[in-house]
Parts: sequence; C-alpha cells; structure tokens
Amino acid sequence: MFGVAFLSPLFLLGALAVAVPIALHLFHRRTEVIIDFPAVRLLQRAPVEQHRRRRVRELVLLALRIAALLLLAIAFARPYLASAVVPMSSPLTVVAVDTSFSFSSPGQVAKAQAAARSAVDSAPASHAVALVSFGDDATVVVPPTPDRRAAIAGIDRLTAGFGGTRYRTALAKAAELIGAREGHVTVVTDLQQAGWDANDEGGLPDGVTADVVAIAGPRVNLAVTAAERRDRTIVATIQNYGSEAAKTEVTLRMDGKVLATAEAVIAPQAATDVRLNAELPASGAAEVTIDDPAGYLADNVRYFVIDSPDALPVTVIVADPAGTTGGIYMERALSVAGNGREFAVDAVDGRVFSGWTAEAVARRAAVIVIGTRTLDRHGRDLVKGYIGRGGQALITLGPDVDPGTLADLVGIDLGVTTAAVRPAGGSATMVASDARHPIFRPFLNPSGALGDVLVEQYRRLKDQPGRVVLARFSGGDTALAEQAVGQGRVLVFTSDLDNQWSRFPLNAAFVPFAVETARYLTVSRRQAQSWVLPGVPAGTPAVPGVIAVGDGAGKRRVAVNVDTRESSPAVTSKEEFTAGIERVSRSGTRDAAADARSVEERQRWWQMGLMVMLAALAGEALVGRNTT
Amino acid sequence: MPGEARFLDPAIIARLGTIDLKVRTIVEGFLTGLHRSPYKGFSVEFAEYRQYIHGDDLATLDWKVFARSDRYFVKKFEEETNVTCHLLLDVSASMGYGSHGITKVEYGSYLAGALAYLMSRQRDAFGLIAFDDAIVSMLPASARGGHLRATLVALERLKLGKRTNVAKPLRDLAAAVRKRGLVVLISDLLDEPERVIQGLKHFRYHGTDVVVFHVLDPHELSFPFDRAARFRDMETADEVLAVPSSVRQDYVDRMQAMIAHYKRELGLAGIDYCLLETSQPLELGLMSYLMTRRKVL
Repeated sequence: MFGVAFLSPLFLLGALAVAVPIALHLFHRRTEVIIDFPAVRLLQRAPVEQHRRRRVRELVLLALRIAALLLLAIAFARPYLASAVVPMSSPLTVVAVDTSFSFSSPGQVAKAQAAARSAVDSAPASHAVALVSFGDDATVVVPPTPDRRAAIAGIDRLTAGFGGTRYRTALAKAAELIGAREGHVTVVTDLQQAGWDANDEGGLPDGVTADVVAIAGPRVNLAVTAAERRDRTIVATIQNYGSEAAKTEVTLRMDGKVLATAEAVIAPQAATDVRLNAELPASGAAEVTIDDPAGYLADNVRYFVIDSPDALPVTVIVADPAGTTGGIYMERALSVAGNGREFAVDAVDGRVFSGWTAEAVARRAAVIVIGTRTLDRHGRDLVKGYIGRGGQALITLGPDVDPGTLADLVGIDLGVTTAAVRPAGGSATMVASDARHPIFRPFLNPSGALGDVLVEQYRRLKDQPGRVVLARFSGGDTALAEQAVGQGRVLVFTSDLDNQWSRFPLNAAFVPFAVETARYLTVSRRQAQSWVLPGVPAGTPAVPGVIAVGDGAGKRRVAVNVDTRESSPAVTSKEEFTAGIERVSRSGTRDAAADARSVEERQRWWQMGLMVMLAALAGEALVGRNTT
Repeated sequence: MPGEARFLDPAIIARLGTIDLKVRTIVEGFLTGLHRSPYKGFSVEFAEYRQYIHGDDLATLDWKVFARSDRYFVKKFEEETNVTCHLLLDVSASMGYGSHGITKVEYGSYLAGALAYLMSRQRDAFGLIAFDDAIVSMLPASARGGHLRATLVALERLKLGKRTNVAKPLRDLAAAVRKRGLVVLISDLLDEPERVIQGLKHFRYHGTDVVVFHVLDPHELSFPFDRAARFRDMETADEVLAVPSSVRQDYVDRMQAMIAHYKRELGLAGIDYCLLETSQPLELGLMSYLMTRRKVL
C-alpha cells in the first residue's frame, strides 16, 4: 500500500498487540465502581470531570497507545519505499568515473564530471543508472536508480582523491551492480597505463557492453618520489615523467616555514636527487614540495619524518666479556649505526644471560651469539625458546662456540662439523651469493670490499633443506647462511667475528656487514615512519600528510604519501583499454532482497517510526497524567 | 435518644401494606405512647379531668377545681380546630436515595401521611404539595371527611422528579397562602441554603408558622464508604472520583456546617428545624410537629 514494502513483514504480526489496549478500554473501565449519591456537591470538587470530556480523553489515550504499538511493529518490520528499489530485471547503465590523483591537475575533475553527465543523459530511457567512483577502491556513489537527477547530483559531488587508478576494481564493482541483468558500463578516465598495473582482479560479465570516455590529461608531470634525511641534509628525489627536460624549484618546509630551497633540472624520463641543506632539529616532520602546476598536484609534495626511531635492543652473548675477545668488535660496530641511535647493544657472558627471564629475552630485537662456553642449559633454553617464538639470531661458529651444544642452543641440528677447517693457502675470502641481499647491499659499490676479508679458520656446514646460503668462502664452503627455525630465523656465520679466526673485525667491511646484518635481523621490529596510500591501517584517513599514531610512550609520527606509481602520465588507447577488459562469468549475487536492504538502510524509516512512537508514548503519559 | 426503642423502625414501617396502614400504625402508636410518656400535655383532644398523680406537669393543674374541691385535678384539653396546614414534600431525584431499606422520599411520605392523619384527627385543614424544581402535584388544604384518604392516595402515587429547587415552589406557595397557618416542609434541602431560607422567610412575612423536616440518609451524614469510587450526583450526573478515606472528614465537616447553618438561620427566622435521619423513628417528626402546632395555637 502506498508503495511501502517491509523487509521483515512478519514483525507486523506484532500489531495484533493493539488488541490489548482496545480490550482494556472496552472492558476494564466497566469495573470502575459508580455510586449514585445525592450530596456530591459537598465532596471536594477538584477531581470532577465531565463524563463526556473524560470519554474523549480516554479515546485519545486509546488512539495514542494503539499508534505507539503500531509504530513499534512497523519499525521492526523495516519499511521502505518499494518504488526506490530498481527491479533486478531492469537494464542498468553504470557510469564509472576515475577520481584517482591523476585528476588532481587543474580542470580535470570538471571535464570528468561533464563527460559523466553526458553518459547519464545518453543512457537509454529503459535503463536505470548507477554512479561509481574509483581510485584505489571503487565506491558506489549512486546505487541503481531510475532517477537521473540523483545520478547528476552524485556526479556534482565528485572530487579527485589521493589514490591510484585500479581499472579492474572499478569493473568488478560495476559487474556487481549489474549482476544478472542487461547492462552497460561507461568508464570516464584519463586512460593511465598504471591503472592496469595493479595486482587486482575484476572484469565485466559477458554481454555487458562497455565504452570509454577519455579525459585527456597533462603530458608532463614532475613528482617528488622520495625524501629522506641523511645526516644534516635532506635528499629529495624528483622524477620527470615528461619527454622534455624540466626545471623546478624544490622547497623544504617544516611547520610551514621554508628551511631550504634548490633548483633542479631533470632530464626527460629521469630522476634526480636534490640535496637541501638546512639546520634540522632532532625530531619533527617536514615536507618537500616542487613547483609543477601543470602536472598532477597530489605528487608535488612529499612528507617525511626526521624523528630518530627508538634504538632496537640487541644482545651479544660472549664467553667472557672481560677477556680480550669479549664481543667488543660487534658491540662497537653496532653502536655507531644510525649515529649511535639505531641499536642499544649489550654484551653479556653466558652466566649473566642464563639469569635472565624469558620475557626479558623476548624484548630483544635480535640476539648475536659469539661464545657459548659459559652458557648453561637454562641459558641455551632461553635462546632456543626465543628463536622458536619468532626471535632473530646470528650464530657465529668461532672458537668460543661449542658445536656440541649448538643443537640445544638453536633447537635443531645445524649440521656443523666439530673440527675447524683451515683453507688452502692459509686464508679464504668471502663472496656474497646474491649481492642484492640487504646484508650485502652496501658492498655493491665498491663491489670488492668483501673480497678483502680474510678468514683463517671456519667450521663447515652440511647442506640442509630450507637453508639459504647468502655468502661463501673462496673454497666454496658456506660463509653465511639463513635458516628458519620455529617461528624465528637464524643466520649462521661459520667463522669467528671476534678477531680470533679471522681479521674480519679489523676490515673496513666489518662495520657495514655487522650493521646491515643487525638491520636485516631486526627489520620486523622497526616501526615504519612512512606509509604509502592506500596502505594505511584501517581507521587512518587516506590523505597525505603527517599523522600521529599510537599513544603514551608509543606515540610517534608517520608520514603518509601518495603512491607515485600513479604519477606517470603514460596512457593507453581506448582500444587497448577495451581489449584489456577481462570477461568474467555473471555473479548474480545481488538479489532483490539485497537491493531492498540497501534501500531500506538508506531510507531508515524505522528510526522515524521509533521517534514518532516515543512521541506518542510521551503524549500518552501526559494525557494519562491529567486524567488522574 | 431515650425512649426511641419503643417506636417502630421506619424500615419496618416501609414493609407494611398500604400507606393508610402505615400512617395509622405510626400515629396510633405515637398517641398511645404519649399517655405513658413524659410528653404529657401534648394531647390533642380534651378528654376529662383526671386526678393528679405524681409526675404530672404542674402547669396542667386546674387551680379553679383545686380551689373548689381542694383536690388536685389535671385538665385534659379539647382544642378547637382552626389551623390550616400545608405539607410540602420534596420529590426531587436526590430524595430517592436510601441506604438501608427506605428512601428519603418514602420516609418523607410516611411522615407527611402521619401528619395528615394526625391533622385529620384534630380536624385541622391540611393540603399536600409535592415539588422538585417546581410544584408537581398539589392537593389544596381541606378538613372535609375523605380528604385524608385523597391525601394518602396522592402520597402513594408520587414519583421522583428532577432537580431540587426548593426556593421556587416556596415562593409560588407563599404567594398563594394568605391565611395564617402552618407550613410543613419535608426535604433533604440539598439546594443553595440561602435560597431555601429566603423562600421560607416569605411564609414568615405573612405570619405563617413553618416547621422544616430536614430528611437525610445516615450515609449522607457519615459518608461510610470505604472503596475508591466514582460518585455520581443523582440530580446533575456530575461525577467525582474520590477515595472516601481521604475526603470523608472534609465531607462530614461540610455537611455538619450546612446543617448548623440551616439550624441557625432558620432559628433566627422563627422557623422550627428538625433534622431527621431515615433510620430514626417517624414519631420524632410528629412530636416536633405537635410542639410547633402548639405554638401556633
């Protein structure tokens, strides 16, 4: 009736409860005693009420009670205007508008809105229309509706976002809206090639036609793709995506104040680092901006945090810290990392370590074992438990390590030979198996730095499945291996890092090797200082800038930036775009009930019903109070 | 009231057959009782001289006889009948109330009938006027034989009327009654006291004596109800929802104030006032009447 339908019509049975007040009205009042009395005029007059007036009042009360019960039943039945639900059988035209940050250049959104309006206007009269905006995600701005004005109003609300382009995501959303019915999709986009690069999924069902309205974007674009602090200098990387060299002014700002500027000339299709020298505080957040009004505006700024992260606790277990080989080299090497703020290193002998609790060990970002001779069984169990629960450890196999207790220490048999190996020629050099590994990245240039490392003795590791050899000695034996143990990870260096079996600690390569190894081990404990959209935690605004996360002692700043993969203005053609649309089977998962639910959730008449019911109850209380 | 026990309960009277029988029972019993009662001297007929006995009222001694015979005789009067009496009976709806077997209008009818019977024996002329907010029936005053019978029949045929308006019929009747006589008003007086009193004063202006029998049910005096109820006025149908325990005292105070007001104002106007509960013997009314009649004579 009146085009109103209900999501849960069974609740309407609750309206039968109106029989209760009606019955009370009809029968209960009969029980009231009426006494005919001659001298009523001598009774107190205040409560006198004319019979007729009282009757009207009772009828008003009855009406209010019935209304409250009816409204309650109707509210629970979840009413909605049925005509607002587009039948699943009616054809649908979906207009999907690209609102990625490539539309942030001047005038782009207006062009896209005009094209979208045109697409809505030209949709067949028999079609319902729906509006989808897409960037990293696809959002239904206007669900399927026969009301073109609603669609146009939705288009007018569109703005450019900060996400990248995801064509497949948009197509998947359009396919979901179309479901099993006849449909057409109009994609309004700047045809960026990057839109196909993302590893997402989605396509259109067979039979659904598609066309593309191309919005020409700028052919050139400059973007700040990186910015970081290197000692007292900020290094910003500027990328030129155009086919001609470009010049721009680079500005470093902190708290709105300009700290440094520099001019950069960037070759076509190239990037350049710009150094911005300024007196920087120990902590804070800053931004690097460039002047590129013709390109995409969203990538003209890069936010970054210059706070030093909390030092990561690293424990070095040695046989005798008071001795000449008490892990001093490793301790000193790690202490200089990050200007001395990256690691908090403590070298302890096995006896002290054995007195620690498991909780204290678990707080270590990494454990480095150089000597085990003073480590008792409890200490070994602590290390084993630490690794098994996800801890990161570096085990060296120098003379202070007892190969016989290694299995107790690590939890598995590493396959270590007891006797030390003396390489032919008196020493062996070390070579990285994969120079791109994070540990060896500092040795890419000069690549020969590791070659200067001379090792006089080492222990041999038997091959084991699941073990990755990261570096070998010149004889072919394993120098550094990586192995997962339990939930943790173990790096095994088969020689000594305490200046006994090798002179490696005295080599220039030792400090970067030790630091990068420690960084590699502690990478999971590091707190990110920057996020790239859309990879921000749930609940965090997907807007570039600097935000504060955590609370109390764990409060820190994080920079949020756009994904510069979207910065490339390279485009594809309409034909390539159309050809790139994958055809999928019709899901048909959207049914009429889902549409009805969607409409009901939008209209929320039940809330209005409950409010009117409360008003009726308030009125009933008021009238009822006056009656007595 | 001492001696009341020897009178018949009005509720019992009500169960007797015809009104003729009822009034005869009342009056004969009353007269018989008078001879044995302290109310000597209120006899209505002269009978004889009787030797004084201890306890007789000295005022009734015939001193002439004492002078002649040196013996004490009391005299019995045979009085001349020269009083015209108008019985005004309220038959408004409120008079239909009765809480214990007899309504106020029944009580009033028996009282009027008894008075008529008594008057007939005294050979007084009497008439009957029934009213509510106007005169609803009227039997002109007469002393002829058969008038008593007509009066009793009229009483038996009375029906309850509408709202009380004592003042109006009193005004109408006062205009009609020019001859000095006696007016007997039997009513619950549930009207505006000032209007009632003003109406009765009209009779006094013409020298007519008035006796008012204020007939009330015991429940009207004590309001003994115990359950919350809606009290509906028998004349206006107005309703009051009341909890008796909380309004009783106020009601009783108001009722007593009204009675006191009537008693005081009517007394000041020279009008006899007699409050009768329908649970009280009707003979009390007769006694009050005789005292007033004596004053008239």
